[in-house]
Amino acid sequence: MRSFWTIFRFSAWRLRWTVLGWGIPLMLLGLITTPFYDLVAENERQLRPVIQGLKPLVKSFIGGEQAEDLFTPQGFLALRYFAFLPVILGIFASVVGSGMLASDEERGILDFLLAHPAGRSSVFLGRLAATFLTMVAILLLAWFGLWLGVLRAESLNFPPGQILLPYISVLAVGTFFLTLSLALSMTMPSRVTAAMTAGFIVLAGEILTNLAKAIMELKLAAKFSPLTYFQTNAMSGLEIKPLMGLLAFAIIWTVLAWLGFQRRDIRVAGDGGWKLPFLGRKNRIN
Amino acid sequence: MSKDSQPIIRVNSLTKSYGGFHALRGIDFEVQRGEVFGFLGPNGAGKTTAIRCMLDLIRPSSGSLLVAGHDPQRNPVAVRARCGYLPGELRFDENITVSAALNFFQQLRGATAACRRRAAVLSDRLELDTASRIKNLSKGNKQKIGIVSAFMHEPELLLLDEPTSGLDPLVQQTVMDLVAEVQHGGATVFFSSHVLSEVQAVAGRVAIIRDGSIVEVSDTSALSARGKVEVRVRFTCPVPPEKAQLAELSGVTLLAFEDDGRLLEFAVSENMDGLVKWLAAYPVATLETRQCGLEEVFHAHYPGKEKQVSAILPS
Repeated sequence: MRSFWTIFRFSAWRLRWTVLGWGIPLMLLGLITTPFYDLVAENERQLRPVIQGLKPLVKSFIGGEQAEDLFTPQGFLALRYFAFLPVILGIFASVVGSGMLASDEERGILDFLLAHPAGRSSVFLGRLAATFLTMVAILLLAWFGLWLGVLRAESLNFPPGQILLPYISVLAVGTFFLTLSLALSMTMPSRVTAAMTAGFIVLAGEILTNLAKAIMELKLAAKFSPLTYFQTNAMSGLEIKPLMGLLAFAIIWTVLAWLGFQRRDIRVAGDGGWKLPFLGRKNRIN
Repeated sequence: MSKDSQPIIRVNSLTKSYGGFHALRGIDFEVQRGEVFGFLGPNGAGKTTAIRCMLDLIRPSSGSLLVAGHDPQRNPVAVRARCGYLPGELRFDENITVSAALNFFQQLRGATAACRRRAAVLSDRLELDTASRIKNLSKGNKQKIGIVSAFMHEPELLLLDEPTSGLDPLVQQTVMDLVAEVQHGGATVFFSSHVLSEVQAVAGRVAIIRDGSIVEVSDTSALSARGKVEVRVRFTCPVPPEKAQLAELSGVTLLAFEDDGRLLEFAVSENMDGLVKWLAAYPVATLETRQCGLEEVFHAHYPGKEKQVSAILPS
């Protein structure tokens, strides 16, 4: 337990710049986006026919059937702000999750760390908890920025608790990709491969989820996209079922990653890089 | 048998394979408490693989290990708590300061006052600037962090993998002194290196590993005594090449034929009697002898490097 807290504190401290590097831009995004609602509301009469005239396929990328919700305060935030967050956080989670252990392993840092009296479970859970906390801190900064923006916008009037609800859904999506990329990094030959695979699933999932709004045939396939379970309109109430579904998968990925980490040989510095499993691996022995 | 009388490291038929590549091919050895045990072999012989198995960083393919009374696979934390480890390729998080890194390692070891005090003493002794960021340090200075971390908690077993790599001669000597001091204090040192002279200087026993197999385990002094004596003789007039063949002298090998036969070098593996009698037939100006050490024995396990006499003598 002592080594868990030591690793958790140290890992969280190491990630402090990551919190600021991702959190401040997201905070600014919230601050910048909200004033535009006043402009959109003023120009509703001109903009509505334009949206109505869009082809379904084009419309699917700005909310599909909900595209005209853009003119409501809640719909504006859902379509112009919250719709992007799971993709941004999904990419972040893919990069950070895949590097949580594999990055230090490839740099040779993990080798020396694990020579100290810290069990693999402590290292795994300490780092996972710190990374999750980092994601929470980034989303809190983003929420704070949006709340400040809402306070500034004349036509938006939401309590801070209500605008916090979609962030919980974003966090669930982020946790899904964090644990997925972590599990991939424990099975694939390098961190980069794992990050790219998880990142591809984020982007492909986003495209699939959007296209399914216009193409009926894709509705079944979209059920396999984690982004489908993101609740854009969570401000009007958070559904527990999709949230629990995402978290259940996150637990499965975590268990798989933990098992992988328990069983694997810790690589020495210099391993990794862009390699594919079928191309084989050259082991470095000294 | 009491715990203290048991070997601190016991390795039985340990193998480690990566696909078709066999890094360790069933090695067996024991290290007794309180000794400095040299683990000698060239790069790629399997030294680091064996050490990493001892710390459960990698899992053996077969065989068994007992380190400080524990099976590393079943109780890795107990093994690591009793060991200090200095890896051959030492890497840190480059963006933190030396003191932050040492503080982290101390906390993992319980952050006792004695541990902190000893880390400060070692840092001073090695002239390690603890305020610097690690990324600004040279390889040698980074190695010093590893040395402090390995020695600061006064472990009962030190696993040192190429410990003097990248260090200047003065710090190398400090490390050798530290090894001698901890041994004097009752600790065991597993000293892996490909530098024969430093193993010879500190180790009481030595294992030679070659291509994943232990080819010899012996007392360092006994191994060194098996080394040949090199004899360098300068003559006042040339010795004819055909006379320098020495084919009839058993245990004598010609190493060099220089200065038109005025300077000859021999390696003598048995007694000197035959060579001295042969030399009596020629006018000797000077004669120097040198006892070869562990290096000779080590190279005997890597044949094919000795020159043929025909290549030494002029045609």
